[in-house]
Amino acid sequence: MSEYVIDIDSLTKIYQTGKTDFKALNTVTLKIRKGDFVAIMGPSGSGKSTLMNIIGCLDRPTSGSVIIDGENISIVSDNELAEIRGRKIGFIFQKFNLIPTMTALKNIALPMVFLGGTKADRDRRAADLLGKVGLTNWATHRPSELSGGQQQRIAIARALSNNPSIILADEPTGNLDTKTGEQIMELLVALNKEGKTILLVTHAIALKRFANRVINMLDGEVSEES
Amino acid sequence: MIKDIFVMGLEAMKSYKIRTFLTLIGVIIGVASVIMVTTAGGSVSSFIAEQWNVFNPTGMVIGTGTGGATPQLSIRSVVFTTNDVEKIQNLPYVKTVAPLGVVPLNKILKRDGFLKWESRPGEIMYASTPALLEILNLNLEEGTMFEEGKNEVVISKNVAEIFGKDKPLHVGDTIYLRRVDSKTLEAKVVGILKESSTANMFNALSTPGIICPTKPYYSSYFGSNVGTILKRVVAYTVLLAEATDTKNVQNAQDQILEYLDSAGSDANQYKDQNSDFVVITQQYILVRIEQVLSVIRTYITAIALISLLIGAIGIANIMFATVTERTREIGTMMAIGAKRRDILQLFLYQSTIIGLLGGLIGCILGASGSWFVVDLLNKNIQNLGGAFSTGTIQLTYVPEWFLIASVVGILIGVAAGVLPARKAAKMDPVVALRYE
Repeated sequence: MSEYVIDIDSLTKIYQTGKTDFKALNTVTLKIRKGDFVAIMGPSGSGKSTLMNIIGCLDRPTSGSVIIDGENISIVSDNELAEIRGRKIGFIFQKFNLIPTMTALKNIALPMVFLGGTKADRDRRAADLLGKVGLTNWATHRPSELSGGQQQRIAIARALSNNPSIILADEPTGNLDTKTGEQIMELLVALNKEGKTILLVTHAIALKRFANRVINMLDGEVSEES
Repeated sequence: MIKDIFVMGLEAMKSYKIRTFLTLIGVIIGVASVIMVTTAGGSVSSFIAEQWNVFNPTGMVIGTGTGGATPQLSIRSVVFTTNDVEKIQNLPYVKTVAPLGVVPLNKILKRDGFLKWESRPGEIMYASTPALLEILNLNLEEGTMFEEGKNEVVISKNVAEIFGKDKPLHVGDTIYLRRVDSKTLEAKVVGILKESSTANMFNALSTPGIICPTKPYYSSYFGSNVGTILKRVVAYTVLLAEATDTKNVQNAQDQILEYLDSAGSDANQYKDQNSDFVVITQQYILVRIEQVLSVIRTYITAIALISLLIGAIGIANIMFATVTERTREIGTMMAIGAKRRDILQLFLYQSTIIGLLGGLIGCILGASGSWFVVDLLNKNIQNLGGAFSTGTIQLTYVPEWFLIASVVGILIGVAAGVLPARKAAKMDPVVALRYE
């Protein structure tokens, strides 16, 4: 196995919008080691969302190779892609994206449902994760009854539930006030210290300091700050 | 995992209570109405069939009118003579035959003391022979049947109370019957009829008010005579007969028609050249009633099935709305590892649950609803009075329709859910996640 948890080589992604093609990613090569905390920065339209979607196995490359934790995502089926997504990637969204009809505990357990396993195991692990994000007393509350910071903590716990190697955080503090945002970032730093590879997509220059690598994107191309 | 996704679907429905409830109602109404229509319809038609059957399955009416596949009886011409009655009585497959003459009365009178008379508006009196009781399946509550040629009558309970409930007529009382030709005839009440619980060929005959012997009441009544002035005979419009048994109804009918159409019958001589002899059997009437009922049943069942279809469209509609509304959730679920199959199942289960639940509740509601309808009908029957007043409709459930209605309910749930669920499962997670 490669020493890289994310190994991207000459990745190009072209969107067809009507008759013209739009090159969202232009021969991107990017290698990320296990345990890295990478901040991907850039203005809107720079291609960072596209890169994020491909690393997150939500989208496929037009050309080039993308190997996520040893799996070449260009050559797998839809079902296998979903499986890789569930097992290896933990998503954290700007708008938390919790399922509104489910309690906090059920939201955390949801990724485990799609991979199978017994309900007892799932509930035990979800309860552990709830403790880890400091919300043990909120297990039976629905997202609408929680504050933004609390919802994002639940989302982080959900991202951890299948013990993925990579956490993808897309503007995780974008909908939070500065103080709560700091707390969320500290939680991500703590996870990084436990060995999780973290990819943080953000506009906020202030968040750069949490990362050990900063990748800048512009017009579908990457450049690394040293 | 299937179970977990099923539970997820169930919980999602619980959170959208009003929406689920309204969608359910569509299916419930459809299933319940199918069951109500089939159950109530079945119960009512077996009630009607039973009502007619009790009368006399071997019975038939003989008259003139238009023959053919759908015979029509007209009661205008007076053609059957006493001779015809005797001849028909002697046919091998005929058990009994009785003439039926109509004697309209102006008044029914009773002596109150020596000089005072009490008078009531009259009704229609039927002149016949004692055999009529057997053919119409009528029974006497008290007294005896009249004898032919005597001034005796048998009356119904209603007529017995015509002068007031507090002073009813009894067996042995004498009344006076004023015919429309102003001739008044004395009559001794010899019997009182038991109230009939059944309907029969002539509704009026289910509880005839007054039955009298043909002699002396009918023979001298004008309009009943046919033939040339020198050779007049007493004749009747209609004869009632019964076959020896249910298997020989057709044979009896054939024999009667054969006799009547022959040159030897008096009726053939007197009847209008343009009309035919008609024999309408109780069995024929039953078949016709069943035909009418089944047309009505089919019609209402079709309407009920349409409401089931509307229920299906309701499910599809609401599922499409739900899928669109939950697009971002679908994207999220895909991002955290849901396969297309999981999403498909999630939505398909929801519509199936609606179909299943709607089917079940619809069955229960339909069953209790038909009980309610039949109960209501029974109460109204009591109020109707007359022949139907003592009958009760027995609630008969048709298990097949329960099965059909619930299976159709579930199928509709699945079918209506397929398209929306496929729409959900085919979403591009990237697009779905961006959906606002």
